[in-house]
Amino acid sequence: MLRFLTRRTLGAAVILLIIAAVTFFLFFAVPADPARLACGKVCPPETLAQARHNLGMDQPIFVQFVTWLAGIFVGRDYEGLGHCPAPCLGFSFVNHAPVFETITDRMPVTISLTLGSAVIFLLFGVGTGIVAALNQGKALDKIASVSSLIGASVQIYFVGTLAMYFLVYQWNIIARPRYVPFTDNPLEWAYGLLLPWVVLAIIFTANYTRMARSTMVEQLSEDYVRTARAKGMSARTVILRFALRGTLTPIATIFGIDVATLIGGAIITETTFSLQGIGRLSIQAVLNSDLPMLMATVLLAAAAIVVFNVIVDALYAVIDPRVRLS
Amino acid sequence: MTAVTLSQSSPGRRGDSFLSVQDLHISFQTEDGVVRAVDGLSFEVEKGTTLGIVGESGSGKSVTNLAILGLHNRDRTEIHGEIWFEDQELTGASRTALEGLRGNRIAMIFQDPLTSLSPYHTVGRQISEVYRKHKGASKKEARDRAIEMLERVGIPNARTRVDDYPHHFSGGMRQRVMIAMALVCDPDLLIADEPTTALDVTVQAQVLDLLKDLQQQTGTSIILITHDLGVIARTAHQVLVMYAGRAAERGTVREVLGEARHPYTWGLLSSVPRLGSPVDVPLTPIRGTPPSMLNPPSGCPFHPRCEYVRLAGPELCVHQRPDLSPATGHGDACYLTPKQKQETFAQIKGRP
Amino acid sequence: MSARTRSALAVLAIGSLALTAACSKGNAGGPPAGSTPSATTTNLTELFAPAKVTVGTADDSNGPAIPPEGVVKGGTVNMIDRDDYPHFDPGRVYDNVTGNFHELITRQLTGYKRVATGDYKVVGDLATDAGQSSEGGKTWKFTLKDGVKWQDGSAITSGDVKWTMERLFAPFITEGPPYIQQWLTQEDYKKAYGGPYSGKELDGIETPDDKTVVFHFTSPHADANYALAMTGYGIVPKAKDTKEKYDKEPVSSGPYIIAKHVVDKSMDLERNPNWDPASDPIRGAYPDKWHLEFGFQALQVTDRFIADTGDDKKTFSFYGHVAAERTQQVVENPDLQSRLLKQPSPYGDYYYFNLDRMKDVKIRQAINYAWPTQQIMQISGGPASSVINTTILNPSVSGWQDYDAFGMKQHPEGDIAKAKELLAQSSNPTPTIVYGYNDTPTEERITVAIKNQLAKAGVKVVAKPMNTKTWYDATGKVDNGLDMYWGGWGADWPTAATVFPVIFGPVHDGGYNQSHLKDPAITAEIKRIEALPDAAEANKAWGELDKKIMETVTPLVPALNNVGLQLHGSLVGGAEIDPISWVVSPNTIFVKQ
Repeated sequence: MLRFLTRRTLGAAVILLIIAAVTFFLFFAVPADPARLACGKVCPPETLAQARHNLGMDQPIFVQFVTWLAGIFVGRDYEGLGHCPAPCLGFSFVNHAPVFETITDRMPVTISLTLGSAVIFLLFGVGTGIVAALNQGKALDKIASVSSLIGASVQIYFVGTLAMYFLVYQWNIIARPRYVPFTDNPLEWAYGLLLPWVVLAIIFTANYTRMARSTMVEQLSEDYVRTARAKGMSARTVILRFALRGTLTPIATIFGIDVATLIGGAIITETTFSLQGIGRLSIQAVLNSDLPMLMATVLLAAAAIVVFNVIVDALYAVIDPRVRLS
Repeated sequence: MTAVTLSQSSPGRRGDSFLSVQDLHISFQTEDGVVRAVDGLSFEVEKGTTLGIVGESGSGKSVTNLAILGLHNRDRTEIHGEIWFEDQELTGASRTALEGLRGNRIAMIFQDPLTSLSPYHTVGRQISEVYRKHKGASKKEARDRAIEMLERVGIPNARTRVDDYPHHFSGGMRQRVMIAMALVCDPDLLIADEPTTALDVTVQAQVLDLLKDLQQQTGTSIILITHDLGVIARTAHQVLVMYAGRAAERGTVREVLGEARHPYTWGLLSSVPRLGSPVDVPLTPIRGTPPSMLNPPSGCPFHPRCEYVRLAGPELCVHQRPDLSPATGHGDACYLTPKQKQETFAQIKGRP
Repeated sequence: MSARTRSALAVLAIGSLALTAACSKGNAGGPPAGSTPSATTTNLTELFAPAKVTVGTADDSNGPAIPPEGVVKGGTVNMIDRDDYPHFDPGRVYDNVTGNFHELITRQLTGYKRVATGDYKVVGDLATDAGQSSEGGKTWKFTLKDGVKWQDGSAITSGDVKWTMERLFAPFITEGPPYIQQWLTQEDYKKAYGGPYSGKELDGIETPDDKTVVFHFTSPHADANYALAMTGYGIVPKAKDTKEKYDKEPVSSGPYIIAKHVVDKSMDLERNPNWDPASDPIRGAYPDKWHLEFGFQALQVTDRFIADTGDDKKTFSFYGHVAAERTQQVVENPDLQSRLLKQPSPYGDYYYFNLDRMKDVKIRQAINYAWPTQQIMQISGGPASSVINTTILNPSVSGWQDYDAFGMKQHPEGDIAKAKELLAQSSNPTPTIVYGYNDTPTEERITVAIKNQLAKAGVKVVAKPMNTKTWYDATGKVDNGLDMYWGGWGADWPTAATVFPVIFGPVHDGGYNQSHLKDPAITAEIKRIEALPDAAEANKAWGELDKKIMETVTPLVPALNNVGLQLHGSLVGGAEIDPISWVVSPNTIFVKQ
């Protein structure tokens, strides 16, 4: 296990470094000049040079990258902006706050959004899938597959906007989504995020329903499930203890990817519901050519994928004792 | 010896039998049509004895035994006839009644111990949960019982191996685990469905001997399903030869193997290699293929593959279904005369 | 190159700026895509009388501000918008939305006083009047009002004013406007002086006493009082200047103090006890408290205002326009009309001719005649979202004179016959022109309309789609290989002094003279007007020059002027889109009971 973690951590570091480098150098291939943006509408040459210097962009690109990288570990001093303590991801070109601060400020929103909806779509999706599998070919199964098809084909910005328009603005059934920290008031936290959770879950549930149904159908015909029944285990035990176990591996795989993607930023959801999370941050960073913020959001998204990959791999070993971590 | 009585279509509960299957019909709905897997089968098993059921794949032997435990797919299967276990009728039994029997009074072992054991749980847990479920034992008691059972089936270091997963065991050991699991509640009836097919020959013998030993210790009745007459000869007291969902021949091991009367049984016997016969003499497999149960042949279901139709009379074989006769003892379902059967079998036996 | 020649910048160039939320035009290089509401019979051109901006007197500079009709004081007003403000140090503010916010906390020497709808005066804000100029506009003197204070109660002095101007030269300030700095020193002003923090003072600003400040410019600038009204010249306290940190901890001279600010999320303002309404002719400051929230897209802002429930009734937006997908619904819903604000943009939008390539004025005029104005209006959102413009100057610019040289209002569908007639007299009756357009769906449709229309007159259009992100780099090149292309322009204050000297100024790569007009007579006239000491006279001359350029050189086809549509909550009073900044001004806002 220790070897596994060491190896995977090293691998992750290399991947993140490559992604960081590619993002950094690609950014400079785009014609937008952040220094020009940090200089006024009318921008005399010396002012532009000063803006470039203030952003640390008067150095060769490679030096800039190394400086940026070093900042993560030892912090960094910016002329005109002050000290940026480690882990320093730089100062935003736009709001001039330390990027790391902004990221940590937005993280709870995205994590809350992700976790809440993940719980809903996992439980509901897998539950529906199991019910459908147990009622294969019957009305319940057909209802489940049709609704999962509908769920899979709708889009967040469509359902989300519609839900906002009717439930919030027209009928006032639910309050406008907002983020209240869990530590402030757990109830408000849940109530404020309920609509985004449900809407996000609608989109994702379908996948889990289909996956759970098909693997469950497969599992139910497994020999060891028959053995369990032959042992006199109750139907519930057979399903929950034996058949479900086998469906967990593929579900853990897509669940890991989905959660990682959402942590990286649910751009459309956050925009639709005006939630200030990582997704909004990343899209704004792109639109504003805000390199430090862009680097941070790209890395965060990549790190989420990498970390969840390791978690999923470790989870395989927990779910299935035949899997050896290496 | 009247330990096992086999009969064809005898209505009502047969007084003293331990397990009695009577006029059983099983059919499934499939996309291609209705499959008549079992078509009017009756047999009985007495306490403490072993019934070997032999036949090719698709002859209905496994289906019959799954039906005893109610493990068939209820949504798509239709069952007629009666299965009496002591004084309990099983085809109409409730789900909970069946769950109470399974693993407890009637246990089952399957062909492939690797796929039949859950890969996700330790063998100890898989064994002990049966004991806990049916005997209401505590965790600790059940675990001790599991260790005891593993010892009984000959797993070395049972105390440490109880926490291993099935994939840590070899094939033969796994089947021993399966047997330990099946016998943990001291069942009255053990259904072993091809228990040795997936194993090496040497291991096969060990497993069969184990079953025999355990039977002597506990008095458990066994239904042993196999396609291997060698296994039957070694283990069974009584034999039921099945073909196309029906009984072709039944009797004691000596009767069926030594004085076989049905051409299908002859076929099976001819396709078994014998240690005494020269290696250069080819085996003679039964020609043709087993019939489709979607559309079984008329008359005697074996007639399309039978070499003796002309001898017995094509009219009868093709159009009229032969009954198992006599009703008790050594019976067979064939229109050849007893003399013809005796002579032909002697000829077959006499072949080098 | 004189300081003046660079005195303004394409609206479009800001388009790529982060703040450009402010400029709806910016991102697309054309009117925003949207639904096409059915044509209404109202001609919005007549509805919108252009704003009038004049220079006010010392009397006009006295507070309090002129209250809007039905004004109520007190309460809390809510403001929702897309983006938080990037800078709180006024010296680093350039865009209109941030500048508009600063009305609440920042004062300048001068400012725009709303006298009535569409009637504005440049007046003294901290100064007693709009400034006294001498030496033909080279010297400007301002006297501070009595009793103007910082939020801590200390007096605002001429020393603060001088310090404010000096610190704009410091290395950390790069974002704000450069005009005053350039006028005091040279065009590349950062080379002339490095800011006051090293202890070195700037020549050119005198403070004979605590109340008086005198600017000595290197050349005449009749509209210096307009320039000083920009937020970028908002006064910063010398004693409380924390350099780059000031951007996070500004000291208020305005009616409110920032009580709480969560970056990119929300802000709460409370009254500044040391702000005296009697000293302020500009800011009404009617609500007791302001609650600002950020992060809302146009669609949500629109839907909330349509629903108008709960606290949203007391809510408005500085810049949240009606979302394109709701335009038709909003424009046609009679219940919403009382809460719908409409205002044409103060920017100039043009289809430039490249005069280096299209040398025959007859062909340029023929294209003007044939131009499919009405079709373009339909494609880009209908008459509810744009008005026909026929001049180079935006109507909101002082001295604007209306004229219609090519009968665009008379023939909005295009006068093909007249175009053919002119082409017949030209050097090439069937010319081929290369038209570069922004590669967006709406622009694509507009381009097809232009192509088909001009084909009827005999002009063949070769349409060249171009990348939105690199639009300005491509069209800003002198040798851009194009004959026609769209361009935008925003004046920094409402006189032509920030328009003509730039868009008809020097031609160079990345410059703003996109038609490449190099007519010596016109250049001489621009120089002459710039040097005029009297602002009113200069404005009149700019207006005449506009017409002359259009009639004699015809360097462009005037494009449609977008109409900004904004909704607000039903309990918000005094909401008006400011015709100069094109943002809802906080100065007249009040909360109805």
